Amino acid sequence: MRSFAFSSAENIEQAVSAQSDNAGEGAYIAGGTTLIDLVKLDVMRPAQVIDLNGLPLKEVEQLDDGRLRIGALVSNTDLAHHPLVTEHYPLLSQALLSGASTQLRNMATTAGNIMQRTRCPYFRDVAAACNKREPGSGCDALEGVNRMHALLGTSEHCIATHPSDMCVAMAALGATLTLEGPNGSREIAFGDFHRLPMDRPDLEHELEPDELITHITLDTPVVGGGSHYIKLRDRASYEFALASAAAVVAIEDGVIRDARLALGGVATKPWHAVEAEQALTGQPASNESFEEAAEIALAEAVSREHNAFKAPLARQAIVRALKHATQAAMNS
Amino acid sequence: MKEYSTPAEAVDAETTVTLTVNGETRQLAIPPNVVLLDALRDRLGLTGTKKGCDHGQCGACTVHVDGQAVNSCLKLAVMCEGHEVTTVEGLASDAGLHPVQQAFLEQDAYQCGFCTPGQMMSATALLEDERIGTDDAAVREAMSGNICRCGAYKNILAAIQSARGQSPSAQQESENP
Amino acid sequence: MDTQIIGHRTPRVDGEFKLTGRADYAVDWQAQNMLYGYPVPASIAHGALEKLHLDAARAMPGVVDVFHHGHFPRLYRSPNSPTHQDQVSEVRLPFEDERIHYDGQYIALVVAESFEQARAAAHAVQADYRQESGVIATLLDTDQEGRLLESEGTSRGDPEKAFDEAPVKIDHTYHIAAESHMQMEVHATLAEWRDERLIVHESSQGVVYQHKAMARIFGLPDESVEVVSHYIGSGFGNKLFMWPHAVATAGAAQMLGRPVKTILPRQQDMENGGNRPASRQRLRLAADRDGTLLSMLHDSTTETSFVHSYVDSLGSATPSLYACDNVAISQRLLEVHHGTPCPMRGPGETSGIYALETALDELAAELEMDPLELRRRNYADQDPASELPWSSKHLDDCYTGAAKRFGWERRDPTPGAMRDGDEIIGWGMATASWPGLRMPCAARVELRDDGSVLAACGTQDIGTGTYTIVAQTVAELSGVALKDIEVRLGESTLPAGPLSGGSMVTATALPAVAAALRNAFDALKEVATGEGGAFEGIDPESLEIEGGALKDGQGKRVSFGEILSEQKLGSVNGEGQAASGDEKGQYSFRSFGAHFVEVRWDPGISRLRVARVVSSIDIGRAINPSAARNQVEGSIVMGIGMALTEKLDYDPRDARLINNNYADYIVPCHADMPEIDVELPDNPDYAFNEFGARGVGEIGLTGIAAAIGNAVYHATGKRIRDLPITLEKVMDT
Repeated sequence: MRSFAFSSAENIEQAVSAQSDNAGEGAYIAGGTTLIDLVKLDVMRPAQVIDLNGLPLKEVEQLDDGRLRIGALVSNTDLAHHPLVTEHYPLLSQALLSGASTQLRNMATTAGNIMQRTRCPYFRDVAAACNKREPGSGCDALEGVNRMHALLGTSEHCIATHPSDMCVAMAALGATLTLEGPNGSREIAFGDFHRLPMDRPDLEHELEPDELITHITLDTPVVGGGSHYIKLRDRASYEFALASAAAVVAIEDGVIRDARLALGGVATKPWHAVEAEQALTGQPASNESFEEAAEIALAEAVSREHNAFKAPLARQAIVRALKHATQAAMNS
Repeated sequence: MKEYSTPAEAVDAETTVTLTVNGETRQLAIPPNVVLLDALRDRLGLTGTKKGCDHGQCGACTVHVDGQAVNSCLKLAVMCEGHEVTTVEGLASDAGLHPVQQAFLEQDAYQCGFCTPGQMMSATALLEDERIGTDDAAVREAMSGNICRCGAYKNILAAIQSARGQSPSAQQESENP
Repeated sequence: MDTQIIGHRTPRVDGEFKLTGRADYAVDWQAQNMLYGYPVPASIAHGALEKLHLDAARAMPGVVDVFHHGHFPRLYRSPNSPTHQDQVSEVRLPFEDERIHYDGQYIALVVAESFEQARAAAHAVQADYRQESGVIATLLDTDQEGRLLESEGTSRGDPEKAFDEAPVKIDHTYHIAAESHMQMEVHATLAEWRDERLIVHESSQGVVYQHKAMARIFGLPDESVEVVSHYIGSGFGNKLFMWPHAVATAGAAQMLGRPVKTILPRQQDMENGGNRPASRQRLRLAADRDGTLLSMLHDSTTETSFVHSYVDSLGSATPSLYACDNVAISQRLLEVHHGTPCPMRGPGETSGIYALETALDELAAELEMDPLELRRRNYADQDPASELPWSSKHLDDCYTGAAKRFGWERRDPTPGAMRDGDEIIGWGMATASWPGLRMPCAARVELRDDGSVLAACGTQDIGTGTYTIVAQTVAELSGVALKDIEVRLGESTLPAGPLSGGSMVTATALPAVAAALRNAFDALKEVATGEGGAFEGIDPESLEIEGGALKDGQGKRVSFGEILSEQKLGSVNGEGQAASGDEKGQYSFRSFGAHFVEVRWDPGISRLRVARVVSSIDIGRAINPSAARNQVEGSIVMGIGMALTEKLDYDPRDARLINNNYADYIVPCHADMPEIDVELPDNPDYAFNEFGARGVGEIGLTGIAAAIGNAVYHATGKRIRDLPITLEKVMDT
């Protein structure tokens, strides 16, 4: 961990201007669970670290239109256990609690989780070729040890997996991010925030260097929806997903009226399986429908030497998540 | 995001941080790139908190900041200004071992002892946290951020469950219903 | 022996130190004026270092020096002799030349005033390399056979002929990926030179060995070195023998005239601090139709590095486990371009027994015979390798007891036949075994005028509970309360004790402590019966020891402390030695046990978990049953990792370690712990030593991976012959 200057922002304006003054060479810190990890590995080398913890962004509130507004600094633990979340968005709670560990969830924030970076070992190793870390240097993962890598949204420049569980739930639930920059605030749909790697895997999202996420607003919950988050991994806890699925279904007379589906562990960004959702709508809530949706969701999968198993694994995750979500919908 | 920007002039200026550690006010003059774990161990002589991985992957460095279990290896010490830190050295009191420590002793909930301070800090936080379930499965899940390579998990679980209801605050509650 | 304390559950005497953060591990030590070392690892695995760019690092705040090839003291290699106890993990010295033999090999050591400054400067070091082709990442990636080690092979009967002629046989090859010890405390050294003496605090499983190796390497007389390791954040074998970081640190401290502490970052610990070598094993087993074994051929290949020959003897248990007239084992060694392997818990036999016990399960399936029955059919009533009787063997009781507690008789032999909702249940079993090992050992005991006792031995407590069993031994024989017994271990200047490895400390150290204690009693009796003594004029032989006191035939009791105080003495001492004797030629010493495992396989989501383990492990007498049981339970947890998740992933293109951290190298966590039921039947082995103990650190790990794999086969019908059994190997695709 090299040296850096440190400052604490007392308000949002100060946070934004601190970053502008640094020409984007600074880094915001909230929970620190990604930043400090990567600075220790010399993967990130900020000249300045700007502490955001003094900002008033720690509230969870229900808006008049029924949506849920979450402050950027709400910890993963507090969000997972918040009564409005456990009541209206149990999927989000489940996804949050399946991620990381108690300690990390206590530290990690909602916006920080959205900004967390890939676990690709070649990204984390400064001696390896990585287009995300060092644009144009190549990608050692393509022909390397790529069991953990992505199948969806990949390019010939990057196959790094997005590691978040929380974001998978948000992709399924639908959300809007509020960003604050030198020119004021703007909004962006959650699904548009993370970028596909394409030929610039270093550009991971739509946030400008001197912008800050201040809030995440969840769409209104699906009426009558049952949900389930399933995470498949090698050990039982405290590990990133090999494949995960977030599902919400609303059922009427045995027919799926509304479906939401997103995938984790298999894609370069939190993966909203839109076509699979469309295919489910209007179909009977049956295993056949679930399997059909799973086929559609993985239709574009591109596998590499060691990760081909993740396609069938992700299909299994989808089918099981839909099955449990259906049961939850029936019981609600 | 730019990773390869050359750092400006090596910034090694020291900052003064005042924090409370195990009930005592402590002052540190440190550069910003010192994490709480190294500050406790190298600069405050509190070596009970251990470094296992230095990346939030093992839990050996778990301490409480304002009562919450955190990985002290991922927390900059400068960010602890004005906060209360509790380490393993702060568990026992004049009255003797903390009930969790006593339970670890009785249940042989350790072998080499290196992950043990972190296990106990997570355990004490867990027992105070009403949001975490009390059944074995919930405890095992909540404790999964603390790796024990000696594999003393069975005894650690037994220790936590036997200490349940004996934590200082639980005793207080039962005295003042 | 009817005992009061030995064999009874005893809370650890060092427990309070560990539980309050006061236990002094090597990483915890600080010295006056101390500097911090941070190694710079090579980022290639095969080639040479062409140039180091150090200007940036040297100019950084707090940097005192950067050591490397050409800028480091000229040292000697250690003879690496087991006989002279100067073995090291790597004979090559750090910075010896510019050759690079594996990823992570140290190319420099940055020394700075603070840890943060040393780490920052280490990151600023750049290196130019000349990379060479022909890299071999692991033996799993190559067909190369390696060289045959003639001295490791044994044979009896005519196994090839018997195999060829047998009616039922199996012939399979098994692979195990390299594993990392992942001990919680990384390797660490604090080296300090005081008046030409080298004082080292090291996280070490062998202070005596490191002491001697350091003396040889720095060209010092033995008395000029001291190695201290009071508490060890475990080792599992990779801290038995010294690694190059310790030499680099001591050399830096010598050149700078200031103490230097180096704590390896986890990544470097995994690259440079040892591993269980990957292995390839071919097992050929043949049997009569009734299950009688006719031939066993066990051919193994293991890895080592290009800088050190470490041989993991995989076949060493095979000739002793089952009655069979025709047996041969062979061992090959293949050099690969990754960090040097070293012993890891149950070295050799853990891997070997995995293959043998899996092969037996395959043979049982071929014979359509219950796997437990096949093992009983070939029960060895004496050691078939040495043809000596066992000193004590109760494996049949272990089979019976564990099978009953497990419910083995309810097993439906058809794979996949046992179901529970979405899950398929698989049941498997395997035999566990580890030899009874004992080395010569010395110890010292001091009886003090305040009634307390000090027992000291140059061995270590790596978490197995050595402090406690030494205290129990003293308490048992002296009647002094545990709280009044002080135990000192982990200092190389104490009477020479054994490595903490091979499950040999209990059987090795306790008889030496007892001998020292008895000599101290004799010294005390001499004082007591001498002029002015409490028992003046009485025959010392007639005095008995009881409750921390001497007692004569008339019932007069005087405490140890009073006897000394009355004579104005501070203490009396006893030195003692112990070693095995004639019994070595009369018996074969080996522990046995059995594991029964239930796995749950959910084919709908490809989830494989170990749900239940029932084990009976006969280790003779457990001195401290709670700590001994803990060892076996911990081994079971480690075995789950070996079976299902643990694998050092080397990139086949350049042999660089990909998963060099605790997040990507997957060890079991709390949530992975199955229901565990361990029984340690109490069968003291007095032929082995006076306390009847054979040791417990290793045996629990042997057999567990095979039992899990056998259970996976029973659940899925798939025989996975490559560890770890990750889900993609089992799933239906």
